[in-house]
Amino acid sequence: MKITLTVNGDRYERECAEHHTLLRFIRETLGLTGTKEGCGMGECGACTVIMNGRAVNSCMVLAAEADGAVIQTIEGEAKGPTLSDIQASFERNHAVQCGFCTPGMVMSVKELLASDPHPSVDAIKEAVEGNFCRCTGYTQIVEAVTELTGTGAKGGLDHV
Amino acid sequence: MKRNPESVLNVLGKTQYLDDLPENAGMLHAAVVLSPSAHGRFSGLDTAAALAMDSSVRVVVAADIPGQNELGTAVFDEPLLAAGEWHYHGQVLALVLASSRSLARKAAARVAVQGAEQLPAVTDPREAAARGNIILSPRTQRSGDVDTAFLACDVVVSGRVESGGQEHVYLETQGAIAWPDDSGGVRLLSGTQSPSGVQKIVARVLGLPMNLVEVETRRLGGAFGGKEDQATGWAALAALGAVVSGRPVKINLNRRDDMVATGKRHPYSSDFRIGLKKDGTILAFEADFYQNSGAATDLSPAIIPRTLFHAAGAYHIPNVRVTGTMCRTNLIPFTAFRGFGGPQGFFVIESAIDAAARALGIEPADIQRRNLLSDGDEFHYGMVAEDPRAKETMERCLAKADWNKLRADIRDFNAAHAGLKRGAAATPVCFGISFTKIMMNQGGALVHIYNDGSVGVSTGAVEMGQGVGRKIALVVADALGIPDSKVKIETTRTVTVANTMPTAASTGTDINAMAAKIACDQLRARLDALAKDRPGLDFVQLVALAHEQRVDLSAHAFYATPGLHYDLATEKGKPFHYHVYGCAVVTATLDVLRGTYQFDDAFIVHDIAHSIDPVIDRGQVEGAFAQGLGWAALEELAFGADGRLLANTLSTYKLPDAHFMPRMDVEFLERPNPGTVANSKAVGEPPLMYGIAGYFAVLDALKAVHPDKPAFYDLPMTPEKALRFLSEEDSP
Ligand code: FES
Ligand code: FES
Repeated sequence: MKITLTVNGDRYERECAEHHTLLRFIRETLGLTGTKEGCGMGECGACTVIMNGRAVNSCMVLAAEADGAVIQTIEGEAKGPTLSDIQASFERNHAVQCGFCTPGMVMSVKELLASDPHPSVDAIKEAVEGNFCRCTGYTQIVEAVTELTGTGAKGGLDHV
Repeated sequence: MKRNPESVLNVLGKTQYLDDLPENAGMLHAAVVLSPSAHGRFSGLDTAAALAMDSSVRVVVAADIPGQNELGTAVFDEPLLAAGEWHYHGQVLALVLASSRSLARKAAARVAVQGAEQLPAVTDPREAAARGNIILSPRTQRSGDVDTAFLACDVVVSGRVESGGQEHVYLETQGAIAWPDDSGGVRLLSGTQSPSGVQKIVARVLGLPMNLVEVETRRLGGAFGGKEDQATGWAALAALGAVVSGRPVKINLNRRDDMVATGKRHPYSSDFRIGLKKDGTILAFEADFYQNSGAATDLSPAIIPRTLFHAAGAYHIPNVRVTGTMCRTNLIPFTAFRGFGGPQGFFVIESAIDAAARALGIEPADIQRRNLLSDGDEFHYGMVAEDPRAKETMERCLAKADWNKLRADIRDFNAAHAGLKRGAAATPVCFGISFTKIMMNQGGALVHIYNDGSVGVSTGAVEMGQGVGRKIALVVADALGIPDSKVKIETTRTVTVANTMPTAASTGTDINAMAAKIACDQLRARLDALAKDRPGLDFVQLVALAHEQRVDLSAHAFYATPGLHYDLATEKGKPFHYHVYGCAVVTATLDVLRGTYQFDDAFIVHDIAHSIDPVIDRGQVEGAFAQGLGWAALEELAFGADGRLLANTLSTYKLPDAHFMPRMDVEFLERPNPGTVANSKAVGEPPLMYGIAGYFAVLDALKAVHPDKPAFYDLPMTPEKALRFLSEEDSP
């Protein structure tokens, strides 16, 4: 079947098999490999993209369901070489270790900040609850967001 | 603010992991056929239905292996492809190649086992040991005279301790790509912590010399030990597929296969006996560790000594006898996982102290503080503690947590609340740094200064998120006197630095950055010699001049950790370059009705020495602690009685999420560590043990409900176990 959708501002019309997921479509058909597969079963959040303003696990959405949708992936986050505020704060706060969870994490945070520019720490944790990070222990991720929004004290290591 | 180029790539989503690289035309995809039960025999495989699906489908079995069907390093007991018999659920029986990933997976599902006969499966390590199913021989480390010392004790307590396995859940699953090479060999991209290890085994499997097998590792989406030896099989399968088909082959496990078919942290079952004086001084300690090694040897012989080395925790105990037995069972071969046997040892001594405190009617912290290592104390393996920082870190940590007030607050809270109880516990840590196998403490580096003044650095270190590349770049920049933006860390390749060791045992920076520094010092000396006659030249001008004057702008260097020795016969020596110390206090709140709990605060004081990059190091401490807390109080690696893994997805295997983690307050003890690169200390593994405090914090809250009930030492703590303790007459 043929689907039409907008990804990171670009319009695509592409063939896709009915059973293909949006994740597979983004990675294999469009070649946008920034979105990761961590489980393929809706359990890890590595594949999170923003679809019509909502953060979704793209491995749980059929590409066919995204026909007509407006989608943002991590590739649409920076303006050329300039990191977005979220990306810059993630990098500055070392919210990134192996980086495999990062694209999905950034998308979840983006959705949060769009609706709640000054989230509480609990709201931040809530927003990334579906995104597993095995590396960081989450503190530096939460700090990356609070530093950006000015909503929370930086925990730990004052002298760093 | 300096930028970490690897992190910039990561936030941009531009980092290329194995599955992100463009695929070559004609590349085949691989899937695996896994054994259906824990132990069985088979006569062959029916491949007709799979082959009928598409002409691209090909099934590769043990008989197709041109070299040796063997992955083992310490002991040859691990076939790449099972032939005739399987020994655990999830063992690879066949490799299926096809033109697409989904076709390969579907075809693999259609391969049927022929003539299957189920054989009895042993899953319990003690049962395996009783039957004589052990790997190599048990090892015993001893000091003093335990038997006599027990007679002199005021109180002697014994007990049993269980600790469960742990799944790594690196977010990037295992994988490899192999290309047949016109030399007759193969080129590989492997998701491994050990490119040279992969090279050696692939050469063995293919019957090739090592120089015909080239392995590159770009980076890993997490590893934590799970890709130390356990990545090798997947690379060998891809290489075998490439040789058999003459086409490039990619293998990338889906999450379920990765969980079922790759090794994890060893479960242990242990007995202890501890003897103390009335004042809490520990005089004697004895423990028997039954390591559930799984069905093959893998790294177990390197892991068991670390359990023994750390059996006395952060304490000085004058009389120690500890024995570790590797028990062969019909479970997945267990393997390296951050901490490498250390956490299991720590949990036993901390359990023993908890039990002893109850017998003496004092607090565990009183025993802990009384027995911490002092300068000059001899470990039971003969090494002498130099500048131990156990007391310093523990006292600072208790002060940070305001311990006495915390205990009083908790008592008040618990007196005032029936439905909620709070608890707190401290865990001091002392962790030895060096590979337990001495020959592995070596590494090389190759540094090129290009004639425009930019620098490329190759080492044996694999970047997996721990920031080793960043640290090496900072060390190199410092050694050459240039901005770190001029330094590029190359991917890890067997053709640039050969015979490297896995990036593991927390030693990645210690060994590889030191080798890089030695190479830089050579280069700097060559440039300085030129600069003598030409003052005022900057680095770029100096490099151009050196090139002009035919001075070598490349250097290779080698580093072997000095001073290590160990006598296996006496189990004495100096197995570690140094120790890392630290302490954590964790607090928890328990819901008495439901048995559920949450962790509130974690106070950590960690012996970082001189930090090469404090932000990276804090991330290592927090991330390791999260994994330790997950191991201690959340992650339940459940196997059925039949040996099948029950927790085989991320919905049945719970991981720490953002809500699970407590507030963390991490402080560094900064006192340089002479004799290491930049006077630093390794950081990867030691903080994992802080998670053990989480187990005892919940136990402390449980004791507030039933102060007279004997405690249980069965890690991980889970709400089910907590509820059983709360509701039943006897402890679980
Ligand atoms: S890959 Fe989609 S949730 Fe894990
Ligand atoms: S940075 Fe590795 S999983 Fe989050």
